[in-house]
Amino acid sequence: MFNLIGIELFKITTKPRSYLGFLAITLIILLIQFAFYMDGKQYLDFIFQSLQNSFQIEGNIMNGSLICFIILQMLIVQMPLLVALVTGDLVSGEASSGTIRMLLSKPYSRAQILWAKYIAGSIYTFALIAWLGLLALGLGLLIFGRGDLVVLKSDELVILRADDVLWRFIAAFFVAFLSLSVVSTFSLMLSCFTDNSITPIVASMSVIIIFTIIGTLDVPLFDMIKPMLFTTHMIIWRNLFDNPLPTDQIIKSLLVLVLHIVVFLSIAFRHFTRKDIQN
Amino acid sequence: MKKISILFLFASLLFCAEKAAAQSPKEMIAKVNQHFAKVRDYAADIAMNFQIPGVNIEAISGKVFYKVPDKFRVRTKGIIFLPKQNPYYALAMLKDTNAYTAVPGGTEKIGSVTCTIVNVIPNKDDDLILGKFWIDDARGLVIKSQLTTKSNGTIIVENQFGKMQQYALPDKMVFTVDMAKFKVPKAVAVDLNSKSKVDKNASGKGTGTITLQFSNYAINKQLKDAVFTQD
Repeated sequence: MFNLIGIELFKITTKPRSYLGFLAITLIILLIQFAFYMDGKQYLDFIFQSLQNSFQIEGNIMNGSLICFIILQMLIVQMPLLVALVTGDLVSGEASSGTIRMLLSKPYSRAQILWAKYIAGSIYTFALIAWLGLLALGLGLLIFGRGDLVVLKSDELVILRADDVLWRFIAAFFVAFLSLSVVSTFSLMLSCFTDNSITPIVASMSVIIIFTIIGTLDVPLFDMIKPMLFTTHMIIWRNLFDNPLPTDQIIKSLLVLVLHIVVFLSIAFRHFTRKDIQN
Repeated sequence: MKKISILFLFASLLFCAEKAAAQSPKEMIAKVNQHFAKVRDYAADIAMNFQIPGVNIEAISGKVFYKVPDKFRVRTKGIIFLPKQNPYYALAMLKDTNAYTAVPGGTEKIGSVTCTIVNVIPNKDDDLILGKFWIDDARGLVIKSQLTTKSNGTIIVENQFGKMQQYALPDKMVFTVDMAKFKVPKAVAVDLNSKSKVDKNASGKGTGTITLQFSNYAINKQLKDAVFTQD
């Protein structure tokens, strides 16, 4: 099994598109960090304008934690697309290139092969998140230093003390991994249904974009639908930065995400193990 | 005639005695100044608590330093909100008794203390428009002050005194500051997924409260100026 996972990981590393995600993350993070290094004070002055009229605010506001939080807010919308680019191709890519027959002729069951692909996809997702964490938080702390985290909300500021921040980021990265796993499982499931690699990637991206738009629109009509969309629960990482912590809401969303993974994976296994391979 | 003379003499004596006992507003302020004038500098531990609408921030503790005439610094490990004016702004302003006109404003009971109200109007154009001080004239301490300023609206400062009352240094200070409601466009805060809430406070105005609790005062230990500048 480890051998099979190794082979799948090797396949991922040989495809140029696998590096697009890392490249995009690196560029976006460096761009945001550079922008904040040059002009961050003006941005914060604008946000704190109304409070600064009444109070004198002291302390290091622009620090690595704040920059990391802003990066996470901006990137979390794009990350699923970067994941789907790779995981949507895992099965359908083999079908379109004609290697699926050869793959299935190996002395492994179809379930084992799909497990290996799923685990390899998860490792890729984890590597993407780890890279994001390393650059956004690690480099951010190195450039901007440590300090209290100001969680920016449109109608509230939540200020978390520096000692209370690191565990929240680690938990947020774990939740982000779980959220992206939903996307990777969803695109893997779609990948089992088609014989070309474009369809599951585009379909995954379209679903995520539509769900995200519905989630973002502040229209009462969508309020009933929102809890049913997995994208609504994917942004639960933000609640880890609330004080007090909405534990029930976080647990509920985590369960919904896990349930989605189980359902998508079950459908993928059911279809792939019974699929009539014709090409 | 003799009776009338005695009555007049008695009334005069009563008026003079009353006049001697009551202090003028400036005399009361001078008594307040005497206490605080003993302080050249101090360092103390400070615990801060914030009740600011739209800001969710935990209490924090640290060290506070003061040196005459107006050096004031709070050192903590985290972000803090302070009143824009130095907490001793009012006392510093009262020092020069020729800089303002003091008008008595009656008495009022704050807690168990009967305070004399003194209104202070600056003689020259200043940020301060009007100062209202509730003075415990028995102890010579400002229990409460209300400062109406051009730049920051109205600031109310309530003081509670303990061991250091001979220096007019409070154990607890509560600042109530006028403030506008905190609001940032969603796109600027990158808060695109939050749901808009119905604004109950349509006027968009409120007050924020900062509570400072002082302990372990070290007074007149010749603080170095560096503590006010170094990180």
